[in-house]
Amino acid sequence: MDVNLCVGCGACAEKCPGKFDDGYNANLKQRTAIYVEYPQAVPLKYAINPKVCLKLTKDKCGLCEEICPAKAIDYTQKEERITLDAGSIIFSPGFKPFDPSRFDNYQYTNFANVVTSMEFERILSATGPTMGHVVTFPKLPLNPKKKQDKLLVEKRKDPKKIAWFQCVGSRDINKCDNAYCSSVCCMYAVKEAMIAKEHAGGDLDCSIFFMDMRTPGKEFEKYYENAKEKHGIKFIRSRVHSVTEDAETHDLNIRYVDEKGGIIDDTFDMIVLSVGLEISKETRELAGKLGIELTPSGFCKTSSFEPVTSSRDGIYVSGVFNSPKDIPESVLDANAAASAAGDALSAARNTLTKAVEKIPEINVVGDRPKIGVFICDCGSNIKGVVDCAGVTEYARSLPYVEFADEAMYACSQDAQNKMVEYIKEKNLNRIVVAACTPKTHEPLFQETLTNAGLNKYLFEMTNIRNHNSWVHKNNPDIATQKAKDLVRMAVAKAALSEPLKEEKINVNDTVMVIGGGLAGMTAAKSLASQGYKTHLIEKKDKLGGEAHKLYKTAQGEDVQTHLDQLIREIETNENITVHCNTTLEAVDGFVGNFKSTLKTKDTAFELDYGIAVLATGAKALVPVEYEYGKDPRIITSLDLDKRFKEKDAGLAKLNSAVFIQCVGSRQPDRPYCSRVCCTHSVDNAIELKKRNPEMDVFILYRDIRTYGERELLYKKARELGVIFIRYDREHKPEVKLLNGKVLIALNDHVLNQPVEIEADLLTLATAIIPRRDERLANFFKVPLNDEGFFVEKHAKLGPAEFATSGVFVCGSGHYPKPVNEAITQGRAAASRALTLLAKKDNLFTSGTIASVDVMKCSQCGVCVAICPYSAPRFATEGRFAGKAEINAVLCKGCGLCVASCRSGAIHLRGFDTNQIFSQIFALGEVV
Amino acid sequence: MNDNTIKIVSFLCNWCSYGAADLAGVSRMEYPADIRVIRIPCSGRMSPKFILSAFREGADAVWVSG
Repeated sequence: MDVNLCVGCGACAEKCPGKFDDGYNANLKQRTAIYVEYPQAVPLKYAINPKVCLKLTKDKCGLCEEICPAKAIDYTQKEERITLDAGSIIFSPGFKPFDPSRFDNYQYTNFANVVTSMEFERILSATGPTMGHVVTFPKLPLNPKKKQDKLLVEKRKDPKKIAWFQCVGSRDINKCDNAYCSSVCCMYAVKEAMIAKEHAGGDLDCSIFFMDMRTPGKEFEKYYENAKEKHGIKFIRSRVHSVTEDAETHDLNIRYVDEKGGIIDDTFDMIVLSVGLEISKETRELAGKLGIELTPSGFCKTSSFEPVTSSRDGIYVSGVFNSPKDIPESVLDANAAASAAGDALSAARNTLTKAVEKIPEINVVGDRPKIGVFICDCGSNIKGVVDCAGVTEYARSLPYVEFADEAMYACSQDAQNKMVEYIKEKNLNRIVVAACTPKTHEPLFQETLTNAGLNKYLFEMTNIRNHNSWVHKNNPDIATQKAKDLVRMAVAKAALSEPLKEEKINVNDTVMVIGGGLAGMTAAKSLASQGYKTHLIEKKDKLGGEAHKLYKTAQGEDVQTHLDQLIREIETNENITVHCNTTLEAVDGFVGNFKSTLKTKDTAFELDYGIAVLATGAKALVPVEYEYGKDPRIITSLDLDKRFKEKDAGLAKLNSAVFIQCVGSRQPDRPYCSRVCCTHSVDNAIELKKRNPEMDVFILYRDIRTYGERELLYKKARELGVIFIRYDREHKPEVKLLNGKVLIALNDHVLNQPVEIEADLLTLATAIIPRRDERLANFFKVPLNDEGFFVEKHAKLGPAEFATSGVFVCGSGHYPKPVNEAITQGRAAASRALTLLAKKDNLFTSGTIASVDVMKCSQCGVCVAICPYSAPRFATEGRFAGKAEINAVLCKGCGLCVASCRSGAIHLRGFDTNQIFSQIFALGEVV
Repeated sequence: MNDNTIKIVSFLCNWCSYGAADLAGVSRMEYPADIRVIRIPCSGRMSPKFILSAFREGADAVWVSG
């Protein structure tokens, strides 16, 4: 397939007789030998699977070559070896879902209604094999051909009861070798259960069988609580031993032991195996060839202080290969790897760039619209359904249309060149293209306009393929009528379009990082090493933040040694200016052009900068329960770290140590998991056991959340004899100070009876609480969530930046996180900031933004209050002081202010009110 | 407005629903040809006047999606 010629029309796939399993749909259905990986693929290009293509395997068929209107089929293509010279390599090979076929107790291969979570994910999807409809026998085709399958499919029903089994292929060294926790399965099982209920209706009974519910991500705990309390999803703490199938109905019978030790039998219509994440054999081999070290579980070995750097210089890693992780952490990893790879190459930046030739723009302001309309056939994609010649003829009859033409492929180079010629020859000053979607093709046509000397906003595109010929292929007459309507609407809008200007954004390439903790220092170091002047603001008298209080990381690295080294590097870096004892007093300006007043002791000074990184961190809660503060033997996790750091010999002499988890976390007034405390306590318990193996060490917990390879610490702690006793939120342990003893009473979950423990040391694993700095949030107009953590731009895809342009976030101010994740996010914030800094002389606003008609503005302030990007504000000087004005740099062109302006004073260029009305009116015209 | 064809005026947000309509096309899903899409930059752009105006022009229904 020649990808330069393929237009993604799909005519080939409609006729292709070769079939193979559709991997995108978890092999639940088949796809043709010529295929597109998935419908959302960008670019939308087809490929041939040489193993099943009849032409390539048996030299028969050849249909696609005959059909392809773009002549893109090339059977002679061979595998090519390409050699690239690269300065850095980012290795992101991903994972493979665990294959449960080898577990005979769950009978995944034999039972029709046992599916994996990946399969269920596709079953829930609107683009999946059942279009989102949850049905039993999902592994059989919708209309099977085999006789025995046909009989089974007759029994197909909408399930009434579905069970999820957690930790399939994770936290298991009995049936497989994956000792680690896959980190994502608890959350995706909750999500799948919620969506299944949404699709199937409220009476669907969903049960999740789990060992520990692990929802330590941002906003995850609330989601879990919501699933339990509001949506009635059942959470059953039990590992199901085996599954049997009813021979007649194919329902699934299970037997399990409940928390009280009772044996329960139950029947489900479907069972979903929540399979874990694994590193494939191929990836391990490739890692071997690259010469990078792996952990025993097969993940890349990285240190907590260089969390995306492999053991080999110049090779950086991201994603699940680095450790099992969810989407936001993968995105952070990717950003961080980009920053690490870029740090090494900063000297080479812009050495391979070329300047684009500028074509002078023709002034069309005030000219009568002369519209050129181009109707695309898209081979037979549009023309096969819509009478394109008829539509073209019709377009010629519309007001202001000077010229209309039909093109076989409007996007082909040939057609583009012709378009430039027509624009010049006929003096066209507005262009309408009726073809596919502007989301992929608008920039291409706009470039053509630019090449012809027209402002690129004198363009309108209407979608007669995706929204018309592809979806109404059995109604050609109606589709043709619809195409005419769409063209008429587009022409009406285009007639009102005006040339728009993209303003140059001046970027001051100095950066201010607020907060001198691990995350902030990491961001500053990365930006400085890429050559940008960075000011690091710290309110305390020294750098390092909360990390000063930590003993070691989950991987056993000494925190203080690394921290001291990082501080030294920061202090000696000539691009970094450290301002300790300094607070932020005022912020003015916007992306690229901030101005702040800062105060060091009693001296105020001003700072101009273009980018801000907020790394203000979080702190440990001071507990108000469990008799804290009344006895020196009752301490917090950080107090215990302090004793370890000071090599307190007394620790080895203790007879009994107790840890209480979730002190202040996961409760109604603080409904989030603090993420780090389980690992911290488990690690400290191991340290105590190391100092005195005879010591009785207890961890009182609700769920142990040692996600990823931290699970190995949990395993090690159990092997060393640390005793784990579970409690629930309603029955917290009770701490008493009696006769000089610290006594802890709670109900033992295994024995199901009350126990009392005497502790020589009671460590409270306290919540991490945000600083809730509303003043800072207001300065930069960035939001805080209910708990007081910063709200990032996008929970999944924008985890290190704010919706406000030019302002970035990292560290525990975003959400509690361990050392390695804080450093990753610090690098990620730097990486995102670089995307603006690197474009310093080449950054422009969009043309489609809002503007104020000052004569109409009544100064009500609705726009100022409503804009999520803080673009409108009251002008402070000049003739129109007091009126609203829009900052072109901050405006994202959403039009919220336009719709809410009560005076009709705001216009949205490119989508102005008269343009949208013109489309509505054009629809109303009787043809 | 011609009674036989146009019934539903659809205001689709460029970032979500418009893309979803594209995807429906790529997936070759079929649906009645009664909708006419007007692409808007965000559902926040919607003004009640657009809806009233569409009805005045004879629309049977107005669909705002974002």
